[in-house]
Amino acid sequence: MTATATPETPATPAPAPRHTGRFARLLDAAAPRSTVLMIVGGVLTLVGGYLPWATFVLNEGPYPEKATLNFFVDPFGVTGFRLHLVILGLAAIVVAALRRIPARHRIVRGLGIGATVVALINGLWITVEGGGLGAITASEGSIAFGSIAALLGGLVTVLGASAGGLERKPVWTWKLPWWAEWILLVVLFVIVLLLVAAVLTSGGQGGVVNPYAGVVFLSLLAALGGAFAALNASGLLTWVSVVSERHRTFSVIVLLIVALLLPLTSAGTEYWMTVASNIGVYAATAIGLNIVVGLAGLLDLGYVAFLGIGAFVAANLSGAAASHIGIHLPFVLVMIISSVVAGMFGAIVGSPTLRVRGDYLAIVTLAFGEIFVRSAQNNIGGLTGGANAIPNIPAMGVGDFKFSDSIVIGSLRLPSGVLYYFLIVLLVAAVMLVFAHLKYSRLGRAWIAIREDEDAASAMGIRTGPIKILAFLIGAMLAGLAGAFFAHKTAVVAYDSFRFLESVTLLAAVILGGMGTIPGAVLGASILFVLPEKLREFSDYRLLLFGLALVLIMRFRPQGIVPDRHRKAELTDPDVEDVAKEGPGPLPTRVEP
Amino acid sequence: MSENPETTDGATTTSAAEVVVEAEAPPEEVTAELAEDMHIATGTREPILVSSGVTMQFGGLRALNDVNLSLHEGEIIGLIGPNGAGKTTFFNCLTGLYTPTSGQVVLRGKPMPQDPARVTEAGVARTFQNIRLFPSMTATENVLVGRHVRMKQGPISSLLHGPRFRRSEAEAAERAEKLLAFVGLTRFSEELARNLPYGDQRRLEIARALATDPSVLLLDEPTAGMNAQETEATRQLIFAIRDLGVSVVVIEHDTKFIFTLCDRVLVLVQGELLVEGSPDEVRGDPRVVEAYLGAPPEEVSAQLQTGGAVDGAGTAEGKSE
Ligand SMILES: Nc1ncnc2c1ncn2[C@@H]1O[C@H](COP(=O)(O)OP(=O)(O)O)[C@@H](O)[C@H]1O
Ligand SMILES: [Mg+2]
Repeated sequence: MTATATPETPATPAPAPRHTGRFARLLDAAAPRSTVLMIVGGVLTLVGGYLPWATFVLNEGPYPEKATLNFFVDPFGVTGFRLHLVILGLAAIVVAALRRIPARHRIVRGLGIGATVVALINGLWITVEGGGLGAITASEGSIAFGSIAALLGGLVTVLGASAGGLERKPVWTWKLPWWAEWILLVVLFVIVLLLVAAVLTSGGQGGVVNPYAGVVFLSLLAALGGAFAALNASGLLTWVSVVSERHRTFSVIVLLIVALLLPLTSAGTEYWMTVASNIGVYAATAIGLNIVVGLAGLLDLGYVAFLGIGAFVAANLSGAAASHIGIHLPFVLVMIISSVVAGMFGAIVGSPTLRVRGDYLAIVTLAFGEIFVRSAQNNIGGLTGGANAIPNIPAMGVGDFKFSDSIVIGSLRLPSGVLYYFLIVLLVAAVMLVFAHLKYSRLGRAWIAIREDEDAASAMGIRTGPIKILAFLIGAMLAGLAGAFFAHKTAVVAYDSFRFLESVTLLAAVILGGMGTIPGAVLGASILFVLPEKLREFSDYRLLLFGLALVLIMRFRPQGIVPDRHRKAELTDPDVEDVAKEGPGPLPTRVEP
Repeated sequence: MSENPETTDGATTTSAAEVVVEAEAPPEEVTAELAEDMHIATGTREPILVSSGVTMQFGGLRALNDVNLSLHEGEIIGLIGPNGAGKTTFFNCLTGLYTPTSGQVVLRGKPMPQDPARVTEAGVARTFQNIRLFPSMTATENVLVGRHVRMKQGPISSLLHGPRFRRSEAEAAERAEKLLAFVGLTRFSEELARNLPYGDQRRLEIARALATDPSVLLLDEPTAGMNAQETEATRQLIFAIRDLGVSVVVIEHDTKFIFTLCDRVLVLVQGELLVEGSPDEVRGDPRVVEAYLGAPPEEVSAQLQTGGAVDGAGTAEGKSE
């Protein structure tokens, strides 16, 4: 037994657990010195952050500010990813040293993983861009061991933390006066807003002129991921979510306001407003898909077709010159019609699929998606413009006022596109409301029951056929609504925005984010639709990277980033806690009263 | 998926004949309240569920041959027979999961619908031999799904969450709470179904079935895999269910359980109804003893008298439902 590790946790009599798995030997050996290892790892990370990372200016110009030669001008003024490393390292040292912190191993592990990934991403990038290892090892007498030190630091931190034995996530039950909790929530939501703006704009606009956008973005994401994991391990995130659950309405309102304030942050330019609006479109669509896949458990591989149907209907009804229909209805009406038409198609696609389950259903929906794309490509009925698309769709507007205008209030000038952004925020909020209301209702429970066990559901009196069609119908309606918005916002609708890849990406967004949850779908959609923007530099490898990321996430977090239920299950009273185990596992034996 | 911890101890623990086990019956006031809420009993003397000549043919296999049953209100009928006798198949025929090759099922004078959902709506609920809960839903939510057919809440109402919605949700939640108290699962109400101990999963399935306000409840091996105490508790529970006004048909291997529970017992062997009668009649019937096992009559007879599990009860059959 590695009983020598017990002095670390004098309060608990249980000896440190013996490790199992592939790294058992290593972890067992490291266990007695886990605290020291964590601190050493933190220090290494810190040092790595301060060391230079490249000895020359990279081919495309200086890489994130002071990673290269600038270092000599201002050696300790770290910014960008090096600052992140310094923060992660410092945090790891502090948490590792304070033995009173519950779940400190788990927290430090999160920080360590973050540092490792940040070091890896930037180190690899500099190596590739600088033309080989020369960029990170000694060259011409100057030392550039930054990435190696930081990577090592991150790994040692993770090793130390894992060896020390990962604790259960602590549960905090603090209750503050209501006004204090309100203030806390407001502050937190504003921080979230600033973080979202920072992530969105990090690295700037991707493309040929700015080849570093992708790496800077990924690196920031990794750093935030590490911080997020640490906070989550500390139980604080769960506590915050309990607090916000306590003030549900208040939280929702603040969140909505905060979302509407995005144009006032660094993301308040036309470009970022467009990116944010596109994310909104996909988020709304993903939530719709989440009804079909996440709640009702019906695998739909052609879902983006409904977004397309909504978009083409809107394009044809809005007075675009290329449309043969040639009528121009008010945009509110257009959105409703688009949604209804898409919903009808949803029901039509849904009905033949009732007789098929699982894999077969996926094939049927896949075929439908293909039929839609081919029809649109061939301009069937002259409704889709074929390869020419339908261009010049007029902006939404009321009278002379157009949504694409910029607005000026006093000295405040909001960029053009900001109104579209506001509209999509409201639209996404509405879609979320629909989802949340349906999920916690008779209908939502029927969907989930069908997902869990269709035969048992019908034995409970659920008429599975109509209920499944309803899932297709409502999901498609939401997508159609998003499609109508999309048509107006981008002003062009072309068939190739709605191909199989988009369906898969949407599905990935739902699964990645966490099936059946709203934040999951939004987060998934954001990540998956921002990444391509940022990774233009890698457009050749984009899908490869994308696939790789998905595989990794599914390997290490199969329940998605924001899992459903588990939180709730973890929060039940401590007596039950013994019985409740996270994730599906063998059923526990009976607890005698 | 997870391995089922179901052991074979259901068979071994109960075979110790005269063990006296104590188990709590559902609290009386809960039973009374529920009976009032559900008010199922109509006081009719007519049989409420009648099957006549039900025959089920699977290709060359005749799983059921001319099975007749009539269930009266407030009655508990036991259905026993060796593995593969067709008991589960009979339940499937009653509940619309299978369409009988011939014969008919009548519920309160009307032909039974041929669709599981409509059967439940008409007032016949069931549990499954291999537990089929909704594993990722909480115990309460499982019971709420059972309320589906009785809730007055359309899709629009679900969407808008208006006052009508709130009323129907509150009613359903109240009923779910009572039902969980009735089966003794209050402490697990917010627990995910898959995390419940095995025996409690079976009880939850019963609560879920009761949530549909059934007039007939079909229980497929409700004590499989349970220890003596749990089995006794289940017996009490079924009595309490009868007191709610629900008529019950129970499939079980444990003959002691069946003989002390049921008003009438039916023995099914190779798809044929062999014997029907009171527990005492069935217990003493030599045909049962012989056909039931094909084993030397004296041994089996002894076993039947003391009331043990006769054919390796509790071993999972793994049959498709
Ligand atoms: N869907 C089916 N298709 C073919 N054979 C079936 C089907 N369901 C049950 N059977 C057969 O019917 C017989 C009775 O099975 P079952 O009703 O499960 O027995 P019991 O519940 O009495 O143990 C078995 O031989 C079984 O293999
Ligand atoms: Mg059976």
